[in-house]
Amino acid sequence: MKLPVVEYEAPTTVAEAVGLLAEHGDEASVLAGGQSLIPLLALRLARPEVLIDINGIDELAGVSAANGHVAIGAMTREYVAEESGTVADTLPLLAAALPLIGHEAIRSRGTIGGSLAHADPAAELPAVARALDAEFVVRGPSGTRVIPAAQWFEGYLTTSRRPDELLAEVRFPAARPDTGVSFEEVARRHGDFAIVGLAASLVLSGGVISDARLAFAGVSDVPVRAAAAEDLLAGERPSAELFDEAARRATTDLDPPADLHGSSDYRKTVAAAVVRRGLRAAADNARERQ
Amino acid sequence: MTAIAAERYTGASIKRSEDPRILTGTGRYVDDIKLPGMLHAAFVRSPMAHARVLSVDVSAARALPGVVAVLTGAELEAMTVPGPDALMALMGWTGPTPEFTLLATDKVRLVGDPVAVVIAESRYIAEDGCELVEVEYDDLPPVVDAAFALDPGSPPLFANLGDNIARTHSRHEFGDVAGTFADSDRVVDCHIDVHRHQNVPMEGRACVASYDAGSGVMTMHAATQSVHVTRIAVAMRLGMEQDKVRVVAGDIGGSFGLKIGASREELAVAAASRHIGRPVKWVEDRGENLTASGQAREESFDVRAAVSHDGDLLGLDVKMVVDTGAYPGMGAMVPDIMEAMLPGPYKLAALGFESTGAITNKATYVAYRGPWASETFVRERVLDLIAKDLGLDPVEIRLRNVAPRTDPPAVMVTGRPLAGVTSKESLERVAELVDFPAFRRRQAEARAQGRYLGIGVATFIEAAPGPRAPEGPSGPMGMESMRLQLTEDGIVALFTGQMPHGQSHQTTLAQIAADEFGVPFEQVRVVVGDSDVVPFGLTGGSRSATMTGGVALHGARQLKAKVLDFAAHLMEASAQDLLITDGNVWVRGDPASAIAVTEVAQRAASGHFGADVDATLEVEATFDGGEGGWSGGTHCAIVDVDAETGIVKVERYVAVEDCGALINPAVVEGQIRGGVAQGIGAVLLERSAYGEDGTFQSATFMDYLMPTACDVPRIEIEHLETVPLDADVNFRGVGEGGMIVAPPTIVNAVEDALSPFGVRIHEQHLPPARILELIAEADPGQRLGPTALVD
Amino acid sequence: MADITLRVNGATRTGSPEARKTLADFLRDDLSLTGTHVGCEHGVCGACTVIVDGRAVRSCLMLAVQAAGSEVTTVEGLAPDGGHGGHGGHEGLGPLQQAMWDSHSFQCGFCTPGFVMQATAFLGDHPDASEQQIREALSGNICRCTGYQSIIDGVLLAAQRNRQEATGNA
Repeated sequence: MKLPVVEYEAPTTVAEAVGLLAEHGDEASVLAGGQSLIPLLALRLARPEVLIDINGIDELAGVSAANGHVAIGAMTREYVAEESGTVADTLPLLAAALPLIGHEAIRSRGTIGGSLAHADPAAELPAVARALDAEFVVRGPSGTRVIPAAQWFEGYLTTSRRPDELLAEVRFPAARPDTGVSFEEVARRHGDFAIVGLAASLVLSGGVISDARLAFAGVSDVPVRAAAAEDLLAGERPSAELFDEAARRATTDLDPPADLHGSSDYRKTVAAAVVRRGLRAAADNARERQ
Repeated sequence: MTAIAAERYTGASIKRSEDPRILTGTGRYVDDIKLPGMLHAAFVRSPMAHARVLSVDVSAARALPGVVAVLTGAELEAMTVPGPDALMALMGWTGPTPEFTLLATDKVRLVGDPVAVVIAESRYIAEDGCELVEVEYDDLPPVVDAAFALDPGSPPLFANLGDNIARTHSRHEFGDVAGTFADSDRVVDCHIDVHRHQNVPMEGRACVASYDAGSGVMTMHAATQSVHVTRIAVAMRLGMEQDKVRVVAGDIGGSFGLKIGASREELAVAAASRHIGRPVKWVEDRGENLTASGQAREESFDVRAAVSHDGDLLGLDVKMVVDTGAYPGMGAMVPDIMEAMLPGPYKLAALGFESTGAITNKATYVAYRGPWASETFVRERVLDLIAKDLGLDPVEIRLRNVAPRTDPPAVMVTGRPLAGVTSKESLERVAELVDFPAFRRRQAEARAQGRYLGIGVATFIEAAPGPRAPEGPSGPMGMESMRLQLTEDGIVALFTGQMPHGQSHQTTLAQIAADEFGVPFEQVRVVVGDSDVVPFGLTGGSRSATMTGGVALHGARQLKAKVLDFAAHLMEASAQDLLITDGNVWVRGDPASAIAVTEVAQRAASGHFGADVDATLEVEATFDGGEGGWSGGTHCAIVDVDAETGIVKVERYVAVEDCGALINPAVVEGQIRGGVAQGIGAVLLERSAYGEDGTFQSATFMDYLMPTACDVPRIEIEHLETVPLDADVNFRGVGEGGMIVAPPTIVNAVEDALSPFGVRIHEQHLPPARILELIAEADPGQRLGPTALVD
Repeated sequence: MADITLRVNGATRTGSPEARKTLADFLRDDLSLTGTHVGCEHGVCGACTVIVDGRAVRSCLMLAVQAAGSEVTTVEGLAPDGGHGGHGGHEGLGPLQQAMWDSHSFQCGFCTPGFVMQATAFLGDHPDASEQQIREALSGNICRCTGYQSIIDGVLLAAQRNRQEATGNA
């Protein structure tokens, strides 16, 4: 399973990288952590002409908090985000999701930006980004665009990044106080992609839920916000009955893909269980954090 | 128990001699070998399951810089000798024998079927070359399930057979089948399926073929379970004299039955090396290993059980269909072993067994650790299904049916005596170790909270090597040979045809020889892995503990006698007054007389002695297994089934086992745990999946899921005191048992967990989605499928 | 092809790998360090695990050129004192390797270097890890032979001995 012949560029600045992308367009693949791209190359499923390795662009890494937002550079390694005090304090949902990504060795190299640009709908970070309405900052030849998460994920492994654009940074809103989070996931084995996962965040204030955010991994070709369930939860007090109903609303209209791990119906059933458990866990987390 | 001269090492968990190199990365696996001028092979493989090959155009591939040669199936036919599969021939197969070419020529018969081989300066370039080979295929209807294969209307995969029958239908009866069924209180009917899964050693198939034109010798650096069987296979196919082929093997990264003889790819690589005149390396990648190396266990069973109201299993009538895949392999032979083993340690009075083998457009059915294991799965599943129907508990029904140990021993209805079998003791011990009543209470409490815990047991025996057969040992598998030598340096060297690939023979055989001969463990060396040097042998079939342990014991004894005869001359004493302990020869009662074994060896090598003194300190020993014996035991699992998601966790696993005298307890336990892990994998995770059109869907580790450290619990192992049958050799094999009995143990536990839903399980693969389906399908009022009640 | 320089097991090494060559293949073929094994080439089995700049990584998921300027440790580089650097060999068993030897951790040995490197990295960061934490940390390494218990026991033993030695030296 050897990689095919490919040209290789290793720019050291964003400008250089953007220049290369402008030159090669969709004949180029951006190589960040490589934990998703290199297997695709080894299987010869991905056949770019050029690899643009952005690991040498130091300005792309880093976590910084300002004005109620946390900006994470695209080349920030997953393990760095996992160890980051800023992430732990201000992005508890991201902190909850990170340890579920693969295994430690994957997180040694994998990056926040790489995972979000790859956009595997069964991965944890796309669901987190969708739940938190993260913003995707891309740099291109004509300047910078900021793309909200709802528009970032277009289809299976497809984002709205243009071929000549580089994802430079992802911005997350810092969690409000009284926030409770959970990342509930059903996977075949520890560290596997989710069969179904749920990124859940809610504010529990005076025993009442607000700002509920639920995003599924693994139920579609993109991460999916469970808007109907979120609407139901607003203003209500946590209860088993409420969470049951939220699970029903969240899954009624789902039409998950069937694959080796299960039928569409199976995923729907699991999605409902994941919503119930995820909401329970998020509510508990909110109480613990208070 | 076993009478060994000085039991200092045998029975102890001596640290392995293999480990220093294993732990420091200085082992030598095939892919570590670099020979001058060595090239690399990659195979062009069919993307179709079943198709005619219309044309193969290798011109672009040949022109790629770095590609040295491209050989098509037709070109390889011209440079090799057609013939049957060597392993099948060795095992005396007389059934349907498909004719096929080494690589595909006129047609391809599975996704991954090799069509051409590209030989290049690097594997990278070889794979680039493969992409440039253009093959024109003409689709043929795929034959993807056994039912269609057995239909005369299915397109025959092999022209010379005219149909897709790998094994002609046969039926045998043991005992009075009709009478037993007629007289029984009820007859229970069910259909049981075992799914396709596979060996998956961490190292795939690999070889470096190096043909030396000057001497005409082909040296194969191989990953194999027998250097001699590989030698025979290579010599046959290449039309070479046997002694012109030398097979050497170093460290091997697991096999579990896969790496026996030589695969079509390895033979092609050998032919390529001879043709090009340079060494050629082939290391299959994981995709090839999963897709094309071979798979196992795809079998289906129609089972009728004659049962008494009290739970006696009186008779079984089983119809088996084995899906043998596309090319000939062990699948066609497996029903014979299954038939012989089906009664297990039970008092079964009658057995009817019929079988057919089907050829399909899927990977060849190869031997996989305990190839006959489904006999235990079927029997132990049926016992549980009967127990549930009658309200008996699983230990109770087994105790009721297990044959008591008598003298002379009870005989299986299929003919083998159950000498020394401790199944009853294993069941009783499991019941002691696992507090069933306490578990039932915990289970009830958990159910009240919507949690589903279950407990399952299963009992098995395996012929490791099996009791002494009245007609004596037979064929190349019957007798074990070993050459033992006291070298000039005073080392006791054991030359064996065993080819360890994780079995720790370099340690265990040395333990036995050290004890028997009287030298420290470090003064014994086990020599394996060179067909020019070692006698015939094969590691497999759970035989080596008895056969090789036995020949090491007896051989060391014979060598010691020879050495003492010689030492008697040096020491001017009588041989019967001499002892060897701790590496020294000395006269009994006179410690001051001691001289080192090393010195004796040096004197033998360098001195001149008269014709009446035999100074050749070497023996060729053979061993026929002595009284042999059974291994076996009872396993018990407690599982936690999440009824909302179908995820199953194995909470506790207990193995009570009897493998005779233990040579090295840590090695024995490692074998059991590894086998159990594969059983857990088979039930919960692993499936070699094909689509309806024959496309292979499990070609990466993202799809073929292997059990990890979070999937396999601590396995509690208890060794039973064994019944010695032989005066000296009571070691019995343990390599395959874990994998044989773990699947029914786990499935029985899952069914127990789901019994509130009325679930009955008739299959081995229970991924989460299937668990939820079983719950949804179950009707609490329904029991064991269609049940014919016979009065 | 690019010329790269990196430090491997404490020594400066150079090479000119094609861009597409993985670090695993570079270590094995160009540097003849065959202790690192290739088990799947798509980043699942962990047999290829090495330590790069202090972190365990899957060397089949890195290009050799990406390791330019890095510190790489392979199984051959685990020194008798358990640190990185030096050369392997039968005398050169670090404390983890010794504990694994004592625990009969392995059988065929093919997965072993990956486990040794992953466990080395993990224990370095989590010297007091529980069994469950060790299992999770090693769940990305596949072994087909052992059922994992003996490997976990080896890691637990190494951790226990490290603690005992630390208190002994305090």
